[in-house]
Amino acid sequence: MFDEQIDGIFEDLADDLAELRVVLEPLQALVPEGFFQLCDDHGRICSLPENFNIEPEVRSRLLADARRAHTLISFERDGQRFYGYRLPGSETILLFQLPQLTDDLLVDSFTRDGFVNTIQLALLNRINQETVIENRQLQRHIKGLGLQHQKLIDENYEQYQRIQEKEKEYARKLESEIARQTRELREANIRLEEASRMKGEFLANMSHELRTPMNAIIGFAGLLAESSLDEEQADFVETIRKSSASLLVLINDILDLAKIEAGKLDLEEIPFDLHGLLKSVTDMFRSQALDKNNKVMFVQDQKLPAKFMGDENRLRQVLINLTGNAMKFTKNGTVDVLADFVKQEGDRFAIRFAVSDSGIGIPPDRQAAIFEKFTQADGSTTRKYGGTGLGLSISCQLVELMHGEVQLESAEGKGSTFFFVISLPKAVDEAPSEAPKIVTAESGDEVKRKLRVLVVEDNLVNQKLATLLVKRQGCEVDVAGDGFQALEKLRQFQFDLILMDVQMPKMDGHEATRKIREIEATSARIKYAGLAGIDPVEIVGLTAHARKEDEQKCYDSGMNGFLTKPIERDKLNEILQKRSH
Amino acid sequence: MPSAKELVNKFNDMKTLPHVAIRLTKMISSESTTMQDFEEVIKLDPILVVRLLKLVNSPFFGLANKVDSIAKAVVFIGMKNLRNLVAVEAIRDLYNNKSGEQGFSRQILWMHSATVAILAQMIGQRIFALDDEDIFLAGIIHDIGLIVEDQLVSEQLRVACDMFYQDDKSLVECENEVIGTNHSKIGGLLCREWKLSEEVLDAVKSHSGSTKKFAIPSIPSILHIAEYLACKMKYGPLPDYQIPLQSYLVPHVKDMMPEYKILVKALPGEMKKAKELYGPIEKTV
Repeated sequence: MFDEQIDGIFEDLADDLAELRVVLEPLQALVPEGFFQLCDDHGRICSLPENFNIEPEVRSRLLADARRAHTLISFERDGQRFYGYRLPGSETILLFQLPQLTDDLLVDSFTRDGFVNTIQLALLNRINQETVIENRQLQRHIKGLGLQHQKLIDENYEQYQRIQEKEKEYARKLESEIARQTRELREANIRLEEASRMKGEFLANMSHELRTPMNAIIGFAGLLAESSLDEEQADFVETIRKSSASLLVLINDILDLAKIEAGKLDLEEIPFDLHGLLKSVTDMFRSQALDKNNKVMFVQDQKLPAKFMGDENRLRQVLINLTGNAMKFTKNGTVDVLADFVKQEGDRFAIRFAVSDSGIGIPPDRQAAIFEKFTQADGSTTRKYGGTGLGLSISCQLVELMHGEVQLESAEGKGSTFFFVISLPKAVDEAPSEAPKIVTAESGDEVKRKLRVLVVEDNLVNQKLATLLVKRQGCEVDVAGDGFQALEKLRQFQFDLILMDVQMPKMDGHEATRKIREIEATSARIKYAGLAGIDPVEIVGLTAHARKEDEQKCYDSGMNGFLTKPIERDKLNEILQKRSH
Repeated sequence: MPSAKELVNKFNDMKTLPHVAIRLTKMISSESTTMQDFEEVIKLDPILVVRLLKLVNSPFFGLANKVDSIAKAVVFIGMKNLRNLVAVEAIRDLYNNKSGEQGFSRQILWMHSATVAILAQMIGQRIFALDDEDIFLAGIIHDIGLIVEDQLVSEQLRVACDMFYQDDKSLVECENEVIGTNHSKIGGLLCREWKLSEEVLDAVKSHSGSTKKFAIPSIPSILHIAEYLACKMKYGPLPDYQIPLQSYLVPHVKDMMPEYKILVKALPGEMKKAKELYGPIEKTV
């Protein structure tokens, strides 16, 4: 059916006989001596050789016979033998003559069947040809697919390259973006550093401004306490003293912290006695321990040498702070200050300092938080125990500067141990030198000779305080408001000691001191009653800045001593006594 | 009377073609498009994603492992096959959204387009060993101009069709007379707009006959033979539509007649295969 449809599609184009010829050609190839003619039901006739013809009458007869029969038929006319055969499965009839064959093909079934087979072979050839074409088309298709496949591979490779290129471009973009952000961060960092430096400077300046009034408060409260007061008044004064003392501690803490954070805190490296240090720390807490029924003691590992190089004052600050904390949170218990040997490398000793208490302990979830600034284990602690939480933070940072780390072991209700390991070099054994003396001068020691003291101080309150303090020691006091006034006084009077404030308007303490030393070095001294003596006049600097470099600056300008404000009475007495001997 | 350009502009304004199809077509002709870009766009059309994965996982590709990512699928089928998939999808929708009427029918047109596309592809593959996806594309879109006309000047189109049946004129001539332009011209303009290859453009412009001769093989010549055969097989764009084979192609088809016969014989099988790859070809309304 479909075949017919297909033929219909091409009938406009079809060479009418081509199809019939397709059948005849293989047949002729098999039987070259035969004459063939193919007649289809549309009446088309194809002959091979082309000039082969059969009389219409004979053909009609043959066609009618062949249509009826199911096999090869033959027909003889005028001594010529014609054969007819209906192609199986169609209405097409094959007619042929075999002139070289004299016998009838049909005489025996063997030759007949042989020839029928030959015809069918030729027909098979036609079907075979279709298969060949189909096969050829499929091969072309495969070839096309092969090309296509290659194209696909090429296309994907192109894609791959394209993606690679894009990736590279992203990488480039990313790099430049990172570079840009780095640059911005660096600039921001510079700005921040600048801001931080400004803040540091501001705090350093504040330090002076804060200490000056504190100086006055503490000093006058002290003086007031010594005057005759009734019980209530004495209690008030005591409260003022305690409050101002703790305020001073707080101010010093804040300033320390600011200094550390500004990177302006330098550690000293001077010899110190470890035993003395530990003792002084525990001694400080004796009375407090008594009040709270705590046992406080220190243990020093025998394997540790006696003396080390380091910043004793800062180390003490740390230990005092840790011990103070331990004491604060412990009642009816123990507080131990320990120094243990860890290891030795050459001259350096790794020492584990620990402050251990049997107090309330710190719950695990709060342990990290207490190292934060301004934090205690919980808000209620602040209300109960007071404190700012600054001390531990400062201690941590100081220990960090010493290349150690403050760590904590604690169990709630069982106590806490704060410890750190730092490495210090052993002090070279030199003459028992400046082992720091804890000031022991007892207050109230009378100064033997009556000294004349010049107080140079611009701040009227401080002037008054210093005058009072010095007078208390039985000295005569004169005052000058700045460097110029001081020189004026020196022109007229003699003094045994000058207490010289460093920060003053017009001519500051350093400049005044340099000027005095200058005059002393020349003949001009004769004009100054106060400077005409053989010995240079003793000048002690007074400054709110407690830094090492501030002290050095005083010596550099020609001063003989140095006192920090607020003036500690004991230290002032020491100086006055030394001078009077 | 509107010019072809005006009709195309109006057609674009109506946004009849899915956005995804237009974007993908333009992306494929761009040099710098990557698989990721394709993935981004294809994702927008869930039907397309399903078809794509179905296609790449069909026995036709015979892949050992199931492909489940869009980018991977595009790698396997290639960008142009992807575009063809999109085109089939878009055009099938387009051809289905109006119920059939006497004379001109979008469903008949769709069957015609699909048949021509498959025949053209088979001619490429089986006669010329060419497996260019552009051949299929040219087949599927070659009568898009008729859709544009049906959308915008449907009355005139119907008059032109009537004229085609009554007078002894080609459809293009009737269109020119009634509408002022013809579907081949409009199709050509759209091809240009979608940045399809010059060969596809020429094929669309000349599919129903032209005075130009094209190389054998080339997409225009293949498309014309396919158009001719499809009409002969009663799969014309209109019922009882016939066109003469252009004379320069007659000797070729005559020479290769047994080949073409076998090719036509294989068409039903190929149609079935295409149905598997691209989804149902018959009307799905």
